[in-house]
Amino acid sequence: MNLPLLQQATEDGEQYRLTPAGIVPRRDRCAIAAEGSNLTPSRLPLAGEQYRFHLDMESCIGCKCCVVACNEQNGNPADIQWRRVGEIEGGTYPDTVRHYLSMGCNHCLEPTCMTGCPVNAYTKDALTGIVLHSAERCIGCQYCTWNCSYGVPQYNPERGVVGKCDMCYGRLTDGREPACVSACPEEAIRIEIVNTSEWRRGYAAQANAPGLPSADDSISTTRVSLDTAMLQNISRVDTSQVEPEHPHWTLIFMTVFTQLAVGAIAAMWASQAFARVAIARVPAAIIVLIAILALCASTLHLGRPIYAFRALSMWRRSWLSREVLFFSLFAAAAIVYAGLLWVHSGSSLYAGACATVLGFAAVYASARLYTVAARPMWNSSHTFAEFYLSAAFTGTMVSALFTSATSNALLQMTAWAALAIAAQQAVKFAWLWHSRVFELRAAGELLRYRFLGIFLTRLYTLPALAAVLLLLDRQLWVRIACIAVAIALELAGRYLFFVSVVPKNMAAPYLRQRRAA
Amino acid sequence: MNFRRFLGLDIAREKYAFVKDALVGHVSAQKAADRWVKTTCGYCSVGCGMMLGLRDDKVVTSRGNPDHPVNRGKLCPKGLAEHYVLEAENRAVSPLLRHEGLLTPVSWNDAMKIMAAKFRNVAEKHGSQAIGVISTGQMVTEEFYTLGKLVQLGIGTSNFDGNTTLCMSTAVSGYKRSFGSDGPPGAYEDMTKADVVLLIGANIAENHPILCQHLDANPAKTLIVADPRVTKTAMMADIYLPVKPRSDLALINGIAHILIRDGLIDREYIRDHTRGFDELCEFLETYDSEYVSGITGLSTESIHKVAHLYGKANAAFIGWTMGVNHSSKGTETVNAINNLALLTGNVGRVGGTPFSITGQCNAMGTRETGFTSSLPGYRKFESAADREELAALWGISADRIPAERGLAYPDIISAVLKKKIRALWIIATNPLVSFPNIDVLKQALDELEFLVVQDCFHPTPTTQLADLVLPAASWGEKEGTYTNSERRVSKVNAAVPPPGDAKSDFAIFLQLAGELGCYDELFPGWETPCDAFEEWKRVSEGRLCDYSGITYEALEEVGGIQWPFPKNANSSPEATRRLYADGEFETDDGRARFFCADWEPFPEQPNADFPFVLNTGRTVEHWHTRTKTGAVAILQQLSPRAWLEMNPMDARRLSLRPHDLVDVVSARGRVRRVELRVTEVIAPGQVFAPFHFAEWNINEVTQDIFDPISREPNYKQCAVRVELSSAAQE
Repeated sequence: MNLPLLQQATEDGEQYRLTPAGIVPRRDRCAIAAEGSNLTPSRLPLAGEQYRFHLDMESCIGCKCCVVACNEQNGNPADIQWRRVGEIEGGTYPDTVRHYLSMGCNHCLEPTCMTGCPVNAYTKDALTGIVLHSAERCIGCQYCTWNCSYGVPQYNPERGVVGKCDMCYGRLTDGREPACVSACPEEAIRIEIVNTSEWRRGYAAQANAPGLPSADDSISTTRVSLDTAMLQNISRVDTSQVEPEHPHWTLIFMTVFTQLAVGAIAAMWASQAFARVAIARVPAAIIVLIAILALCASTLHLGRPIYAFRALSMWRRSWLSREVLFFSLFAAAAIVYAGLLWVHSGSSLYAGACATVLGFAAVYASARLYTVAARPMWNSSHTFAEFYLSAAFTGTMVSALFTSATSNALLQMTAWAALAIAAQQAVKFAWLWHSRVFELRAAGELLRYRFLGIFLTRLYTLPALAAVLLLLDRQLWVRIACIAVAIALELAGRYLFFVSVVPKNMAAPYLRQRRAA
Repeated sequence: MNFRRFLGLDIAREKYAFVKDALVGHVSAQKAADRWVKTTCGYCSVGCGMMLGLRDDKVVTSRGNPDHPVNRGKLCPKGLAEHYVLEAENRAVSPLLRHEGLLTPVSWNDAMKIMAAKFRNVAEKHGSQAIGVISTGQMVTEEFYTLGKLVQLGIGTSNFDGNTTLCMSTAVSGYKRSFGSDGPPGAYEDMTKADVVLLIGANIAENHPILCQHLDANPAKTLIVADPRVTKTAMMADIYLPVKPRSDLALINGIAHILIRDGLIDREYIRDHTRGFDELCEFLETYDSEYVSGITGLSTESIHKVAHLYGKANAAFIGWTMGVNHSSKGTETVNAINNLALLTGNVGRVGGTPFSITGQCNAMGTRETGFTSSLPGYRKFESAADREELAALWGISADRIPAERGLAYPDIISAVLKKKIRALWIIATNPLVSFPNIDVLKQALDELEFLVVQDCFHPTPTTQLADLVLPAASWGEKEGTYTNSERRVSKVNAAVPPPGDAKSDFAIFLQLAGELGCYDELFPGWETPCDAFEEWKRVSEGRLCDYSGITYEALEEVGGIQWPFPKNANSSPEATRRLYADGEFETDDGRARFFCADWEPFPEQPNADFPFVLNTGRTVEHWHTRTKTGAVAILQQLSPRAWLEMNPMDARRLSLRPHDLVDVVSARGRVRRVELRVTEVIAPGQVFAPFHFAEWNINEVTQDIFDPISREPNYKQCAVRVELSSAAQE
């Protein structure tokens, strides 16, 4: 790529200012100089180099000019801020220190937004290292917003796509500073050139700062200057009030019902294979239908459902692509399985085996995509346990309706799965509650205070349901009622899974605009 | 949501496109302008030069003018988003008259006729002094000049003041007493040239962030900040002095004591240019370091260190704002600051000045021209010569000019309560949020026969009480000039016409003059603000604030000219000018005065019922009572709610936690459900709340006690208690 990027720099230092051209500055009149040329590099990056932000926290006065200038530059609505200013505070009166973190995108060496993206909407510019996002390619799956430890990509519901800071690539190409750099009255933000291999070796001391997540997740390139020797106990000011995350209802339904379908198909196939039970054709078809509906519903999660098919394209890199791929294959195999059962074909057994294996793989991919460093609560084996146990719990229970011969065995499995889920939830809560990691502890607090009712109802109902299944006479209506309760419990559990996760993020200000109810 | 958007075919491509703008380069298509209008920012008194970008005759962007000497292209977040004010939803668009209890649209003709008739009626019944007028620091100088003549000579009342009395009247009084006239002597350039910059009660990083550039341009300086709260500015300081609330006067006297004791004074300057030195020396004897340390809470060492830094500096700058002004000892504190400058000869010297950093965009303009606390051109009501000179300029009889100042803002309000004032005209200010102890004001306004509120916005808490609402053009919709803190006159231009039937304040004043029958006498042939400006130039000629060499064209050309700039001035318009560089002051004998200003504790000390000292102030995202900034989504997003700062030690004692909703209670009232911020920025025993939010109006609890000289309210200290808000209120 050959850009005229910054080439005007050598010809005319004036070019770098947020200045209407044609007005010749009168620099002689005033001591304060608005010379901007030292705020951006005077040359292009060479091979093995890239551009990066430098924030001088000692200079930043938290005026938020950069935030407003960024929104003005990019035409974003007020609730989307590609540059944000957070606060950290420490010390004891009168030796109090408060610093401000002004952050856009960190244009990481290993951008997690990019590696997770199922549609290749992200590219890391070969010349500048700027992480660019294409609104045209984006399908609005928002997976990047879960992957970034800094909360940089932000979903714009008006557009149905994500957007993010591109270091004002277009302004750099004009030979101007990024809008934030240009607006800063304190010259606290600059663009620098960094040698990527040197940075990779020694980033920790300069990319990490109080109020920022560890740069290890993606190797952030932003350099932060702060005299940490002066600081005592400096920490984020926004941790005393944690708001729940978005529930993503379509994903709650999609994950619960696909897991139900995988569990049910597996249970039916197992009954057929090991207990030689004949499987009724209508129930099998119904279960396949549930799986297909759940998968279709999940496209409504996308900002651009019409382009859902694109999500397959990055299967070599993205777990989201793999989830879509395996569930598509599972659905296809399940359709074949149900079809063969319908015509009483002997080869249904092979198709069932196929569907079962693909279903297990799909649930794995599904769980795997949530285990990202930026969301510590999800990033654990509990996510796999929750997804597989949910399949075992609801799947066996539903299949027991249709396979009278094995229904006892299946319902016993259901009961044990219910008890296992309750145990797993208890263990998970203890893990969160006693964690030293802020995001985990805060998730525990959300469950303990904000969502206690839902959490405890589920925790107590699960063993009760197990008791009913193990001990009571299991008439049909009891079993149907139990299924309804079980599905409700799993939807509630998945709701908690989505809302109680506390993402890593940069420090925020103390007061934030409350989300519209 | 349309179907194409639902499917994802439509991603609002046009709205989110980028274009190459001829002037600003690559930019969001929403913000690309087809023409630009140069103007000056309408928020604070820093006076930043601005460019408004228009597309299809709509203002789409505001940017710093890179050519303006004050801001060099930078703006604060309010300025960067100022264009949104012009499309705010709550603009006043039609005159409204209260009819059967409801505000109902009327024509301008009717509105003006009714207003004139009501004023005449009140004047006939109770005398014209029964009409009060409260103006502002937000209009252009031409409007202040016009309004002054209209009120004092046309309506015939001297009970005329501005909201500037809530803001910087203390600085005015202090300058008048020390130097014989209002007028800040220095320039912003002094911040870049001083060896020592002492800021007292001035949080410039929050309130005047663009001034920080001038400090940054001077890396060699020592920055000393005195403030009871560890503000953003305090954190920038080389030496931070965490003074106890309202101990500033003691600190300043303590510094003066050390300067005299240790001979760090300019004896020649004192001998040639001042009076009262011996009395001062005698008076200051009690202010030894131990005494001052006991009052301020500072160590004797740090007082000594600061005094020596100040005294030994080649050029020392003292800046102050509301920490000093919002005090019942404010004027005397300003005099004490001026004492320091006079003792060391730091007046009118490059880098050396006592400098009041002003509040509103054109508070200075009303001080120069306004006819409220002085006659136009810093002339004195008390001076017969000044009155005669002015009368001759206007071609009227001198006895029409009052020989003493009318009532100041708080005294107008108490006169309303006493039914001495029966009609009130409030212009471009929102006292229902900004006046101390708001309940008294509410009661007063209820007593009136007729309340006119002229504002760009409706509804505001104040317009809602009006009998007549006059919709005014806002900044960006009218022409004139502003004067900033350093006496720099800058041009203000209209980019768009006012919305609906709104008119410029200037046009409203002229129309009312027509109705009152004084147009031809007072404003003969006036049509545009330039007519007022031309007359004002003649009126200011030969005065300290001499405008006679300034033209609109020159202002456009150089982006701001500091007065005095007389006709045939021997310096270029761009040159930095200072007052009193020759040591000649505006007093009778040309000498500046020392004042013996004794420290006193603030009036309402904390007690068992109200154990906290409440301090009030600002945040960078908002302006005054938020009529403007509350309408700007991005500023609301960045600062959505009021808060109360409390030290962790106090919060622990009261079992309060961060984000708890608390009530702030004083002997006068209660502010409900303020969000608590537990922070080490505030000292134990003190709490702080911003005053911007009508929804959490801290002036429900502040004390209506005023400086005896300037009449400025003592906003900065009162006694309160803090309680957890009861759940029943939810």
